[in-house]
Amino acid sequence: MKTLLAAAALGLTTLATGAFADGHESFPERPIMMMVSYGAGGATDFQARIVTMTAGNEDALGMPIAIINKPGAGGRVGWNWFATQADADGYTLGAYNIPHFIAQSIEGGVEYSADSFEPIANWGADPAVFVVGADSEFNSMADVVDYAKANPGKLTFSGAGLFVGHHIAALQLEKVAGVKLAYIPSNKGGAGAMKSVIAGEVLGGVNNLSDAFRAQEAGNVKILGVFDLERNEFLPDVPTLKEQGFDIDNASVNFRGVMVPKGTPQPIIDKLAATVPTMFENSRVAGKMKAGGSPMHIMTRDEVLAMWAAREETLKELLAGL
Amino acid sequence: MEFLAYFGDVFTPINFGLLLLGTIGGLILGATPGLSPTMAVALLIPFTFRLEPAQGLILLGAAYTSTVAGGAVSAILLKIPGAPANIATTLDGHTMAQKGQGARALQLSFIASAIGGVFGVLLLIFLTPVLAKWALAFGPSHLFWLAILGVTVIGSLDSSSVVKGLLSGCIGLWLATIGFDDIMGAQRFIFHPAVSGGINVIPALIGLFAIPQVITMFAKGRVSLDAEVLTVEKHPIRDAFREVFRRSRALSIGTLTGSVIGLIPGVGGQIAGLVAYDQSKKMSPERDKFGTGHSEGVIAAESANNAMVGPSLVPLLTLSIPGSPTAAVLLGGLLIHGIFPGSDLFDNNPDVAWTFINSMLIGQILMCIFGLYVAGLAAKVAQVPNAVMAAIVLGLAVFGSYSVQNSMGDVYVMMALGTGMYFLERFGFSAAPLVLGLILGPIAEANFIQGSMIANATSSVGQYFFTGPLNLTLITVVVASIAYSVWMELRSRRYTTKDDAVKKEEAIS
Amino acid sequence: MTDLPRTQHIIASGVVAAVGVAVAFISYTQEPAAAFLFPRMISTVFVVLALWTFGKALMGRTKVGNGLDSRAMRNILPGLIVALVLVYWAAKGLGFYTATTIAFFILLSLYDPAPHSEVKSWIKRALITAGFLAVMYGLFAGLLNVFTPREIFF
Repeated sequence: MKTLLAAAALGLTTLATGAFADGHESFPERPIMMMVSYGAGGATDFQARIVTMTAGNEDALGMPIAIINKPGAGGRVGWNWFATQADADGYTLGAYNIPHFIAQSIEGGVEYSADSFEPIANWGADPAVFVVGADSEFNSMADVVDYAKANPGKLTFSGAGLFVGHHIAALQLEKVAGVKLAYIPSNKGGAGAMKSVIAGEVLGGVNNLSDAFRAQEAGNVKILGVFDLERNEFLPDVPTLKEQGFDIDNASVNFRGVMVPKGTPQPIIDKLAATVPTMFENSRVAGKMKAGGSPMHIMTRDEVLAMWAAREETLKELLAGL
Repeated sequence: MEFLAYFGDVFTPINFGLLLLGTIGGLILGATPGLSPTMAVALLIPFTFRLEPAQGLILLGAAYTSTVAGGAVSAILLKIPGAPANIATTLDGHTMAQKGQGARALQLSFIASAIGGVFGVLLLIFLTPVLAKWALAFGPSHLFWLAILGVTVIGSLDSSSVVKGLLSGCIGLWLATIGFDDIMGAQRFIFHPAVSGGINVIPALIGLFAIPQVITMFAKGRVSLDAEVLTVEKHPIRDAFREVFRRSRALSIGTLTGSVIGLIPGVGGQIAGLVAYDQSKKMSPERDKFGTGHSEGVIAAESANNAMVGPSLVPLLTLSIPGSPTAAVLLGGLLIHGIFPGSDLFDNNPDVAWTFINSMLIGQILMCIFGLYVAGLAAKVAQVPNAVMAAIVLGLAVFGSYSVQNSMGDVYVMMALGTGMYFLERFGFSAAPLVLGLILGPIAEANFIQGSMIANATSSVGQYFFTGPLNLTLITVVVASIAYSVWMELRSRRYTTKDDAVKKEEAIS
Repeated sequence: MTDLPRTQHIIASGVVAAVGVAVAFISYTQEPAAAFLFPRMISTVFVVLALWTFGKALMGRTKVGNGLDSRAMRNILPGLIVALVLVYWAAKGLGFYTATTIAFFILLSLYDPAPHSEVKSWIKRALITAGFLAVMYGLFAGLLNVFTPREIFF
């Protein structure tokens, strides 16, 4: 009973202050939730939990951020919900994955596009890598492509789903090397795709650099190439696809960051865009991310807007040829 | 025997305090409908940020073991399984509670849980390298057959008609296809925005079990107080121990099935209890008593549930592959501290790995002690008047299903499924096979599609799904399971309703 | 009275069969075919089993299920209406805590056997309601940080 009375008093106070604050100076006044469109424990969920852990600090937002998972169909379920049903009041944030949601919106069948969301800031960039089992006979991308040329359509390799970064990387490889491959999408994300490589169900796979790095450390896989413009600090010995003679850019690199639904008041977007990147720069966040083998890449709202637009163009071109 | 060297670490004041906290908290969270072990562990992750790696894992490990066992409390007393793993426990456990044997059912379930759980963790300690190979042996074709095996169990699960059992399963399988197709991303059967994200298993589970219970309580009307109160028989714990060991067949079938199935990534946890229940029913000379409040049913289901906990972590700890959603969350808990699980985990971080495993071993025993204490108190729930109980369960169902994804749509789905289920139950359909269909549908479909894609690229579908010793073994078990169900139906010694079966059983004894 | 369950069984299994046929129809007509392969397999089995059950009900050979009786239905109706209004309108319209408080109190008044004329029994009902809501608030808002629509009061 006492709790309830206290709760009632608290509720009334919130109500009163809410009514008097005309602008959005006092935002945020209550805890914020952030939707992640992948399951708990996945790479996106794991990183989202780390980068938001300091949100409650006074120099950040001053209010904690709680993670809500809405997994399903390669992220479509969560982003559909975010575009159509989430409240555009600044208290509902979402995590984005590029190129996933842009590729899905180009392919169709979903209710969102790059115009449905307003980016706030980017926290990470996770390139796709090509992995094979530790005892595989392939030792370079040339071996893989040679096998695919000799056996068209018979080189099975796994990835996290259709029209996600891994699939984009696979499409680029097929196009540049001029081969036909058998891409097997997993319904369990990167972890499921990695399992089928380690268990030998498929000959190879495209996977996240962060997950592949751990699997290589554990001695389960070999990493043959990075789908990025430069070598990665976590894997200085692994050459990029470009170095191995395949002209592939960074279109498949998985950028992760925070966004809000379209229609969120501009002052709130500005406030978030100013605070969130500094929140990502916190040294505790950087330490935990590095410990977990997750590459960070902080970008501000303007940089992300430019990146979204550029990515949309490349993807339209790539997917048009399908 | 290396693990013995690290036992001391579990008993430092802070570690042991966290272990107690995780165990007690886990029991409470597990007993709340809607809070599955995965959610409970995910909720605790932020707390582990500030702890040492070993301390954080002790908290998570203890919470994992005790939420799985805590789910039995609401399954037995309210017929609402706390998580999919506890569905089988409702079948006999709740009937026992209705007969006033709630305390006995709870005691049996906690003792069986602890024995199964300790066995599972011992397997994890001694056989990890061997088991890791076994866990990887299951490819898409094998997982597909395993899911089909689960579907065939449906027919013989509840003591009503086989055809209606299978039909309930089909409804569940169909409900599972609503929403986005997991691989292609196509939209299917989205007739209302509330189901556009598909039907989430936890709200569905709450609705299908809790709402028919609520409506059944309504149906009794404004009856006078004294007529309705159930007597709760006191049951000495000593007798419960004796009974568990007397039922050694159910206990060993439960423990072994649970450990074996728990190993298989992606399928294990959710069906271990049901498969163990079904197996011990088929092998018991008293099989006709199952479903009427028979202690073997509770023992088999609960020992299997907790036996699965240890082995389910094998793929995670040795190969860095999370075999279940809960294991995926635990992986996050490890990574945050910069610990990469893998074959060299026990060489690089033995203090963390062994302390974690030891704490799960001790956690099982603590869980049993607290559980037995709670059993005495919790069984009094049966004495709460109908009207209050109906209102409480309805409130919990609404809050619980909302909290899974902060989604109003889930609450709508929960209520719609639950109301529908009440009426279906009146005509001989049952909730357990329906939920099983809902859980197994996506597993069967995704593995079928993936398997066909691999098969089309390499050999042929026929060769991929129908050759190889593991495929053939699973197919044989599937055929045997179907044959058994058909034989049972033809023998037709089934009772018209569960109520009648219970009455008949009481008349005999 | 003996014929009542039979008619009810025909209606119930008829509804299930109709759903089955509708599912099968949608599965076989919708595109893309690849995504509907599995629903087609399921719905075929679904329809066969549903029609079998329907046939059995028509012949009056249904063995399981007690059907519904009118006295129980009369008891259920008010409670079910409260529950449906709570879930489909009040929870979002009035906020979770307000709506649940009201629904909880109404349900207690409807089904609690204590006499309605006594003040004591009304106080008891109010106390139980307040206690339950306090636990719900502590657990979901306090411990688990779940944001329900409209927070605490409106």
